[in-house]
Amino acid sequence: MKELIEELKQLIIDSLDLEDVTPADIDAQAPLFAGGLGLDSIDALELGVAVQKRYHVKLDANSADTRQHFHSVENLAKFIASQRPA
Amino acid sequence: MGMPLSGTDDTRPAVLAAGGEVSRGALAQRARMLAAAVDAHPARRWALVCDDAGWFAAGLLALASRRRTMVLPQAPQAGSLAAAGIEVDAVLTDRPGDFAGYATLAARENELLADDCQPQDDAKIEFYTSGSSGAPKCVPKTYAQLRREVEALERQWGAALGTAAVAGTVPHYHLYGLLFRVLWPLYAGRPIHAALCQQPADLRAVAIKTPFILVSSPAFLSRAGLDELPSASRVAGLFSSGAPLPDDTARALKRDWGRAAVEVYGSTETGGVAWRAWTDAESRPWWQPIGGTEVDLREEEAGPRLWVRSGCTWEEDWMPTGDLARTSTDGRFALLGRADDVLKFEDKRVSLSEMRGRLLQHTWVADARLLLLPGKRALIGAVVVLKPDGRAALDASGKLAMNESLRAWLRQSYEALLLPRKWRFPETLPDNAMGKTEQARLLALFGGDEA
Repeated sequence: MKELIEELKQLIIDSLDLEDVTPADIDAQAPLFAGGLGLDSIDALELGVAVQKRYHVKLDANSADTRQHFHSVENLAKFIASQRPA
Repeated sequence: MGMPLSGTDDTRPAVLAAGGEVSRGALAQRARMLAAAVDAHPARRWALVCDDAGWFAAGLLALASRRRTMVLPQAPQAGSLAAAGIEVDAVLTDRPGDFAGYATLAARENELLADDCQPQDDAKIEFYTSGSSGAPKCVPKTYAQLRREVEALERQWGAALGTAAVAGTVPHYHLYGLLFRVLWPLYAGRPIHAALCQQPADLRAVAIKTPFILVSSPAFLSRAGLDELPSASRVAGLFSSGAPLPDDTARALKRDWGRAAVEVYGSTETGGVAWRAWTDAESRPWWQPIGGTEVDLREEEAGPRLWVRSGCTWEEDWMPTGDLARTSTDGRFALLGRADDVLKFEDKRVSLSEMRGRLLQHTWVADARLLLLPGKRALIGAVVVLKPDGRAALDASGKLAMNESLRAWLRQSYEALLLPRKWRFPETLPDNAMGKTEQARLLALFGGDEA
């Protein structure tokens, strides 16, 4: 899980072209969209696309669950882990 | 087209929501319930904030029927009302918990029914656009202008669209979303998908339920992979507005996905002005005026500026657009770029000189330049010369912290989407090196690996 969290932080930095941000600057538990990273709605779209492409997970439409999965890096990691074949 | 939702016994679906279908009769009843609650309320100026497009529609009809002024905030949060200095007497909303400190009318909690709910042509609706400066700009319109625009849309495309449902990736708080996702389907009897579709997966879920008309924008269409979109055979029509689609996106949609985008050119001030469709996927189509819209060119220093006039423009007289254009002999036109320093950025307007003005008001900032950086996603870059205080703060807390303080400062006036994402803090602005424009020298600051 720790590995996946670090991988996701790097994916966020790379796919959103975040400058000056290192994985250490991203708090895995902090809100991605309301917090310090200040990600916007375009970032949400691009991150959704990048995550689906990399991990082949299916995101539910418009559900509160999806919002919850993207709340923080930690939530996203848990979600992806839960979708992987056992 | 008659009035929207005339009968209360109409069982055809008006709204498709997660909780189930709402019939046209039931939606009319919602509107009459809200009209009764508005009758009983002293407020005259109302913000309308319902994220569910069905409740939004009911609220819009109720307020317009009672000639209450309707305010549509640019971003539907309590904070954005206050930040923009928008004063309202009350908020009609489907999430009253978010509007502490405001008088609210909870959309879902009313029981009394008014006898009627007919929207009135002279009801006022205030839109707020990103304008060109940081301060949101108010664009007042009348219900009649919206109604006429809907009638023009139905004349133009109604027959081709049939009774397909409507789903959108653009919010309904702006003119385009309000017309295409709410008012037009309401008048034309097409069911409305209540929730905003923010991800391609949302559209796939819609496609499973019904064939649908997709109301979208370049910001979405240029990013969603074609393989992630639902099959084009489920899409009865595709509209895009906010900015021109990049040519390669428009071509790929037609050639590789199978559906030509119908693009609509316009603004909150002018309403819809013209349209074009990439029907052959090769040549870039000309813009064709919608319905009774007249277009004219007026020479300016920057070139020929496009002016428009229709029954839907803000002042119902000739109005300037922000674009340079040339016309063909048959009345169509091509856009040649912006007439001023206002950028179209992720479908929003932003003036870099205004944003620079905001930055200069910060106590740490001595001078600043802003520029558009090319790339996969166009970004705004900021080059800032700091005062001694600011430089001390940069040395003490680091570059990321400085980026974030200045972003937070601009965030008070601008949406997150528009904020600069790359920052440079040189001791001085790049000096007059030989033969290079200032723009090129500034761009060079973002060129290499330097952080």
